[in-house]
Formats: sequence, structure tokens, C-alpha cells
Amino acid sequence: MPLWTLRGLRRGIVTTRYPARPDPSAALLPTPPVFRPDVLTPGLADRLVAVCPSRALARDGDLLVFDVGACTACGRCRAEAPHAAGDSGEFELAATVREHLVKQIPLGGRSA
Amino acid sequence: MMSQDATGPAIQETSEELQRTVTRMFGRSLHIRTLDTGSCASCEQEIRLLAAPHYDLHRLGFFFTPAPRHADLLMVTGPMVQVFETAARKTYDAIPDPKIVVATGACALGGVYQPDPFTRGGIGSSFPVDVWIPGCPPSPLALLQGLLVAVGRLADKVKDLDFALNGTPT
Repeated sequence: MPLWTLRGLRRGIVTTRYPARPDPSAALLPTPPVFRPDVLTPGLADRLVAVCPSRALARDGDLLVFDVGACTACGRCRAEAPHAAGDSGEFELAATVREHLVKQIPLGGRSA
Repeated sequence: MMSQDATGPAIQETSEELQRTVTRMFGRSLHIRTLDTGSCASCEQEIRLLAAPHYDLHRLGFFFTPAPRHADLLMVTGPMVQVFETAARKTYDAIPDPKIVVATGACALGGVYQPDPFTRGGIGSSFPVDVWIPGCPPSPLALLQGLLVAVGRLADKVKDLDFALNGTPT
């Protein structure tokens, strides 16, 4: 803190903007999954719900309910169904309303 | 006793204006008190890294303080173990108004633990929470973004994401 305070006083800059540039290490972070609605079937959704260790996934009729706030980015759903779940690459996920973190993904795939 | 017209749009407008003023002032100087309500300490490691030169949260006008009475923002991690709830409540009450509560990590958001005789399964039932930061643990970059959302310097972008993908996953 002291160094920054002195530097800030000298330059007349109180705080800096963020992010000044994209962080190169951000690509390495584990991130929550994204799902493909066109290949998700109710059966596959149930399998994904079963492998999720942190109760981030639930099935509600024709919807896969994905709670991003509960997701630990463990990657088990991606391992279970690599064709239906991928990496979102999103890590700046702060929300001011808890419900904004709950996503509903339609199950558009045909049952085999 | 409040008269009927005092609860109308005028009060609403005044409270929103006050909220904007508070976040604008916090945006230039914010003191953070962290509170561990039973986390595995991964979140604490990431929070600690915020003060390291790589992330340097002091450049953004944020500082850590050990005293709740000096704090503006309460950063809560962990699923709120029930034996800690009284102490957590005291910490919350000791922070002077206006204050911001940030729930940090999947446990605090109610993901990992179910409510049971030992934990509340998240901090949402114990405090009014202003900002939720997902992640297990949230990276320092995610924490920085969450803090800037808390003081209104960045907009939360997660509400516009649908986590659905068209095409083959990478």
C-alpha cells in the first residue's frame, strides 16, 4: 500500500481502470461448462445431473437447469458427454441477483 | 410513523440516489473484511493473492482490514457452519452502515453443501447478499471483477450469458 499511495500521489492517479488489458493467464482457468441444446436429450440430461457432484444441474421437464453459482467447474459433465458439453471460457461471473446465475437450457435433442 | 406519500416514488428515488452516491464513494476507497464461515481455505488463498503484486488490488483503491468496524465490505466464504453463525452475525452487525456483503465461492452460494444439522448450506439465509461470485475457488481475476461489480465500476455480464452452445464444443 505505501508504494502505491506515494506513486498515486505523485502522478495524481487515485485508482486505475480494470482490466487495462486482457490477462494472458485467464485462458488457463477452469470455467463452467456450456451445453449444446440440440444434442441434449432428457436421458442424457439425467446422466449429467447424476454425475454432477455439487448439485449444479437439475432437470425440470424439457429444461436442463444449470446453476452457475453452484458449479465447481470440475469437468465431470464434459467427461461424461464431450459432444454435448464444452468449456465456456467465462470466469468473470459475479452477479448482483442470485437468480441471474440460474440458467435454463432447453433439451432439443431427439431421444434415441 | 411514515405517512402514505412518504413511501412513494420520491422515497424510492432518494434511496436510489443514496445508493449511487455510496457506491461512487466506495469505488474510490473500499476496505474489505474477509470472513471464513467454514470454507476449505481455497477461497482464502485466492483472496490472499489479490494483495500480491500480480493482481495488486490496492491500485484499484481496495484494501484489506482486520477490523469489522473499519470495513465497508464483508467478503464471506464457506457454507456457514451453524456454530459460527453467531460470530458471523456479530461481524456483520459490527460493520458500519452502509455495507456491502459479497458471497464468495460455490459453498457460500449454496452449491456444495446441503443444509444439514452442521451447515446452513450457503450464506444466503444469514445475510442480505449484494454480490455473488461463483467459482471453486473463484480466481483472483474473478474476485477483482466481483469487487468492481459490488462498487458499480463494472456491470455484471453473467445475466446476459445463456450457457447454451450452437456447434461442436471445444
